[in-house]
Amino acid sequence: MEDIFAAFEQAALRPLAYAREWKRTHDSRVVGIFPMHFPGELAHAAGALPIVLQEDQEPITIGLSALFNFYCGYNRSIVDQALRGEFEFLDAILFGDHCVQLLGTADILREHAPQPPILFNQLISSLSAPWAEEETRKAFAQTWKELETLVGHAITPDDVRASIRLHNRNRALIREIYQLRREGRIALSGRGLQLIVKSSMTMDTSAHTALLERFLAEVATRSPALRGVRVYLSGHLCQAPKPEILDLIEECGGVVVDDDLFHGFRFVATDIDETGDPLDALARWHLARNRRVPCPTLTDEKADWDQFLLGAVARSKAQGLIVMQVKYCEPHMFFYPEIKEAFERAGVPHLLVETEHEQMPMEALKTRLETFMEIVKRRAAA
Amino acid sequence: MQTTSERIGSASPVFGNGQRANRLKTTKQGGKLVNDYWSDLFAAKDDGRKVIWYNGTYIPPFFHAHDVAWVHGEAWAAYLAAKHGELPAQAAGELRGYDRELCSYARTHIGQALIDLRDLKEGKLGIAPDDPRALTMAKLPPPDMLINAYPYCSSGQQWDEITYRLFGKRIPIFNVSIPLLWGGRPDAAYLRGEEWNERSQYVAKQLRAMCAFIEEHTGRKYDWDRLSEVMGFVKKAATLRLEAMDLCSAHPAPASFFDWIVSIAHVNFLPGTQSIVDYFQAVKDEIAERVANGEGAVRDEKYRLFFDGMMNWNKVGWLADKFASVGAAVVAGRYTHMSFWQEPELIDLRDPVLGMAQNYLICPNNHGAPIMIGEINKLCDKFDIDGMVMHASRTCRGMTNSQFLIADSAKRHGRQALFFEGDVADESFYKDEMLNTRLEAMIETMDARRRAA
Repeated sequence: MEDIFAAFEQAALRPLAYAREWKRTHDSRVVGIFPMHFPGELAHAAGALPIVLQEDQEPITIGLSALFNFYCGYNRSIVDQALRGEFEFLDAILFGDHCVQLLGTADILREHAPQPPILFNQLISSLSAPWAEEETRKAFAQTWKELETLVGHAITPDDVRASIRLHNRNRALIREIYQLRREGRIALSGRGLQLIVKSSMTMDTSAHTALLERFLAEVATRSPALRGVRVYLSGHLCQAPKPEILDLIEECGGVVVDDDLFHGFRFVATDIDETGDPLDALARWHLARNRRVPCPTLTDEKADWDQFLLGAVARSKAQGLIVMQVKYCEPHMFFYPEIKEAFERAGVPHLLVETEHEQMPMEALKTRLETFMEIVKRRAAA
Repeated sequence: MQTTSERIGSASPVFGNGQRANRLKTTKQGGKLVNDYWSDLFAAKDDGRKVIWYNGTYIPPFFHAHDVAWVHGEAWAAYLAAKHGELPAQAAGELRGYDRELCSYARTHIGQALIDLRDLKEGKLGIAPDDPRALTMAKLPPPDMLINAYPYCSSGQQWDEITYRLFGKRIPIFNVSIPLLWGGRPDAAYLRGEEWNERSQYVAKQLRAMCAFIEEHTGRKYDWDRLSEVMGFVKKAATLRLEAMDLCSAHPAPASFFDWIVSIAHVNFLPGTQSIVDYFQAVKDEIAERVANGEGAVRDEKYRLFFDGMMNWNKVGWLADKFASVGAAVVAGRYTHMSFWQEPELIDLRDPVLGMAQNYLICPNNHGAPIMIGEINKLCDKFDIDGMVMHASRTCRGMTNSQFLIADSAKRHGRQALFFEGDVADESFYKDEMLNTRLEAMIETMDARRRAA
């Protein structure tokens, strides 16, 4: 088991080093992807290693020469890494999300770090539009074409279907881990689960899937679930929460039983149809995943994040909700008041934690978390 | 000469030589058109007209042609700010949990939507029911439809989604997606290339669907001939505006960025009638007269600047006077000179929709940086610009995104650049003394450069 987590950790904590080494040993291409809605399947089908570009933990220095300090930590970190030359080994970056900050970041990269090229095809963010599926299909078709130019050979529908099957298998295994955790059948810390999901965003999917299969075979015979106040984590779009915060939640008596984090269940929640036209399947997936786990960066008349969260908290038998909001993340800031009101109306305890790229006052956070756990316990005892 | 206290009393900055901006006289007449628009809007429900709340680009001709009333969220936020009513609205938003780092237009607009008569009557927000601010707030007719058509800015789309949800999802909403012109394909250029053609058709298709949406919710057939008629006035007004702007390449510049700022409403959301044509004709005539007389928007013009970023609506007059007091004419700006029917020749009055879509697509933010900066540089050359004033509008990241790139480019072209922080509708982000210091430094540098030349 230790060797499995060592491998997850290597890919999750040093993703660019992992990708560089993969590129060297496979003599192939590595394609970066900006979060949160662009699939890795097309790049994988092209024979490349798709990796979700991550916020790193370095202090932001040179990046502030190109971007204001009132941008979210993810954008500032990406600009900083680009200006440090960290992305030069990539062969391309795929991008198409509608985030005003990330659109600016992409332009900064194009100017200051033109290698790698950015293959930009904007995905529709208004999912209720009658043409949403058709436009999404066009965006993926254009990406497909541009990837073929990049790699210099055709990508067949069968190639894409094979990649979809592999990624579906990977997502299904991670969802299985989630289910075991929800049911209290395995002991897996928040940090551990983040390593699993985050490494899946970087690691060769076949290798990662093999490790997941081993993990699931071995974990069944391991220790019983962690005990404590059952909490659900929500938010933290684009970048992973600091593992220290996940540790602190557990130190304060909490057990994370479920989440909708991008570096969590959101990333693996929805599969892509393995049959038929892969472009149709990818387009339908873009629309379907927001119904499964609503995202505040997308507008959709049929999706309600607050109602989804109330249901998800109940289904996972969580006793409280911790909302982790990245400082300067505008979509999350727009939707947080609705979540707060919905949980107040439902009488479910909740706590807002604002996180930053820079170091946070952990002692102050500890006090707030301890208080929150006490409130949850008293509410349960009342 | 004015004393310091007199200058403070006149709400002008205590800075520079005390000279104030020489504002165009005709813009005062333009104020009446704006007031008429609001009065008409406030009476919309009495007249039985449906009301559309919208955000984003300048789509009101579609509404005007169908005889529905319209409320532009940004304009309403600016209107409240002008009436000193933005603070209670922002406080109401904050009370619900909206972070002050969110777009202050949105916070003001959403906050205002949260203030209903019941809250006012109960004094929950600390405003008396007969407070003039409360009376102003109560005038806005509620929406029958919501339409969002924001180029580039994702926050703009989310803002209307929240408004839709605030009204319990009972008001029908329509989203027009105006995708970014990234300009990454080999044939990409300003108004050219495969991406431009595809996106133009895509937005035009959505605008036609938007009209079907309006038809559906008014129960009346859309009158396309009327749209052509309305656009005839808009096209004439836009052309006159651009011609008047071109006259400002004269030295001294006869009108400033701030004169164009107070004329934004007329091309942005006022009805397309003969009135706006007459207005811009009057503006152009006054400017031509000034050119003939050698009269500048700034007395003793020494420097010519370009204003980049969204306007700080709380500080329009203040900033106009501040720059005038150091002999700096702010001649042009990204917000004023690169948007609002910037390419009227694209509009074919026999079928104006495609040309309208194309004008919406070229909102300057909606170009990838290389093409946008190329267009900025052309303007700077045309208006003989010495330096750039970069307004880092704290909560309008759509405008701040490329500002370091713009400043870098300006410096490569031998122009100075200064940054100052402020915001579109939240005055608390503005720090006057910071701007003073940086403006003085830029002036010193420009002087030194001239002495060395």
